Amino acid sequence: MDNLVREVTIVGGGTAGWLTAGVIAAEHMANSESGIKVTLIESPDVKPIGVGEGTWPTMRGTLQKMGIDETEFFRECDASFKQGAKFAKWVTGDEDDFYYHPLVLPEGYEKINLAPYWQPQSAKVSFADAVSFQGHLCEKGLAPKQITTPEYAHVANYAYHLDAGKFSAFLQKHCTEKLGVRHVLDHVTAVNASENGDIASVSTKQHGDIKGDLFIDCTGFNSLLLGKHYNIPFICKKHILFNDTALAVHVPYQTENDAIASHTISTGQSAGWIWDIGLPSRRGVGHVFSSAHTTVEKAEKELRDYIRPSLGQQADEISIRKIPINPGHRKLFWHKNCVAVGLSAGFLEPLEASALVLVELSAAMISEQLPANREVMDIVAKRFNDKFLYRWDRIIDFLKLHYILTKRTDTQYWRDNCLVESIPEDLQTLLKLWRYESPWQLDFDHADEVFPSASYQYVLYGMGFETTARHTTRRSDNIELAQMTFQNNAQLTQKLLAGLPNNRELINKIKQYGLQKI
Amino acid sequence: MPNHQLLDNINHKDVHVITQHTPEFGDNSSYSHVFLSEFRDVQAHYPIFFQKNAQTGQFEAIALFGLAGEENLFLTDAGWQASYLPLSIQRRPFLIGFQESNEDGVISEEPVIHIDMDSPRISYNQGEAVFLPQGGQSPYLQQMSTTLMAIHQGHQQTQAFIDSLQQHDLIESVEIKVTLDDDSKHAMNFLYTINEEKVAQLSDQVVADFHRLGYLKAIHMILASMPNMSHLIALKNRLLK
Repeated sequence: MDNLVREVTIVGGGTAGWLTAGVIAAEHMANSESGIKVTLIESPDVKPIGVGEGTWPTMRGTLQKMGIDETEFFRECDASFKQGAKFAKWVTGDEDDFYYHPLVLPEGYEKINLAPYWQPQSAKVSFADAVSFQGHLCEKGLAPKQITTPEYAHVANYAYHLDAGKFSAFLQKHCTEKLGVRHVLDHVTAVNASENGDIASVSTKQHGDIKGDLFIDCTGFNSLLLGKHYNIPFICKKHILFNDTALAVHVPYQTENDAIASHTISTGQSAGWIWDIGLPSRRGVGHVFSSAHTTVEKAEKELRDYIRPSLGQQADEISIRKIPINPGHRKLFWHKNCVAVGLSAGFLEPLEASALVLVELSAAMISEQLPANREVMDIVAKRFNDKFLYRWDRIIDFLKLHYILTKRTDTQYWRDNCLVESIPEDLQTLLKLWRYESPWQLDFDHADEVFPSASYQYVLYGMGFETTARHTTRRSDNIELAQMTFQNNAQLTQKLLAGLPNNRELINKIKQYGLQKI
Repeated sequence: MPNHQLLDNINHKDVHVITQHTPEFGDNSSYSHVFLSEFRDVQAHYPIFFQKNAQTGQFEAIALFGLAGEENLFLTDAGWQASYLPLSIQRRPFLIGFQESNEDGVISEEPVIHIDMDSPRISYNQGEAVFLPQGGQSPYLQQMSTTLMAIHQGHQQTQAFIDSLQQHDLIESVEIKVTLDDDSKHAMNFLYTINEEKVAQLSDQVVADFHRLGYLKAIHMILASMPNMSHLIALKNRLLK
């Protein structure tokens, strides 16, 4: 026995398991003799939760690296475009209260911070509209590219909405047929430790003991390896993010030509919010709420009220699935020779679709830094833990930001969300700073931040936050450049509104003709 | 707006078609589709490229006539300035339509001739007669019918050719940048051509297959058509004077 890492064994299927398998197998040549051997053990009767029907733009790169054809992905996964999120009723709760968090960076972001130049105009134009064209594209139901744009390339930056169940099956097929991942359909009955405390193997009902040099725990909320076997504690974040229950429904379209929204719609409720995700074949709608602030019955009523305008009477008959949420994450993610990816590592409410992106980021880091042998594994494990603890904290901060800027005082839920003791200290500090300086590149420590400063700008200024103008001038002040950049954005907006196709039309065309590789 | 009608010798009994190619009769497009069977003639006069169809995103082969949207540098008041007209220019104002035919319960699609009655080429007193006085097809219509059939077959052949090129990654995008005599700059970034390096790396087996299918010849004719770009630029420069 040497201590080289040759076999990666993933326990659990679902999107987390198959994405991780795909990323590692593609990079480490699992389909060649000289590559890493990747095995995925999936229980035949545990149904995956299928979190997150929304992705980040990073998913394009992830799929491309795995050698997936984007047209096939659209055809097989009921996928559609996502150009950002529209937050309705988060600030005042009024009917006309909404703002956009688009996926494109503000115009000229590499050259100029437009926020201070926009602030005096805030009564006339929303921040997102002043600095980006994408909110307009979403409002008009346009797609982020043309049929002539090559696969994975964009005119306007985009991510996806998808059917998580279909996506998982699609990835499984790709991983097993193209990437050389070995698929074992069996129950894991025991976790077998070796002398040094590593996991030596897992026992299965029909396939005996399956070894591995690195085990990846993708067992969902079960957290079979990291949680149950290693007893790594779970850190609950419910005191910051109150939502602990979700009610989900599938909403059919009334006709096959109904518009598909190219953005996630998040609408504030009395004690939570409702997501609304448009897939080509249906909408996925759900209510995430705090059970301490409302009852399931009341939450269900708000959900049925939300879908009634599009469904009529059917809204009262449609069946609802209840999903418990325990917001938080494990204290560590990589322990010994075991690393958790997906729900087994933690979960937060789906407000900014952070679940799948965390899977991608985890898989990418495991794959990139895959330890060559056991000796260096602890070094990589420490790096991984440091990085992901930081990332979870930043995501929690960013999600909480959406709540603390509200002006809603109509329910205890919104009032409680603004209590200082529920706000992480880091976030309080940043908020204090942002009263006098808008978020910019150096506000965050890492080169590969999960949310760039632009995202903070979109949420802050979308929600009516005010940064006081500096009393002194700076050498880099450049009002001409700012005005020119605003104008560029206005021109670009007109050009794209005229040139981009309807979202559903493009998705239909992609399914019919396909996107070109070049 | 085009007004496509199924051609028949009753409704279109007296229709004539003006066949000269001058600007008032349309054709002011900067390209036309070209088909594998005519590459030999096309490459002698025009650069052949691929472009993506705006509706489907699929590649199609074209002959380039100009450097900007509606510019056809071959189309002048004195007629078309080249001795070969691509089939899809020749055919105008006729086009292929499909008619469902039911023979003994078997439904099939038959190609039939349509005519665009809103084309400026339509006339009742000049040009070529479409039908003979007794209602038979004129020699001109017979010739058009042959052209349309060539297009119909050429379409499928050319598509198979393009599919094979894509299968072997032989198509690459090309940006054409032109500086004219008056120092004005024109850039075209929607064109695609053959990747010569990748052609050179094809395996013997693929080369043999391509040869047998006539694709190798077609590839070389596309590459050989490139110097016609200089001809286009010269035509454009002549307009500046």
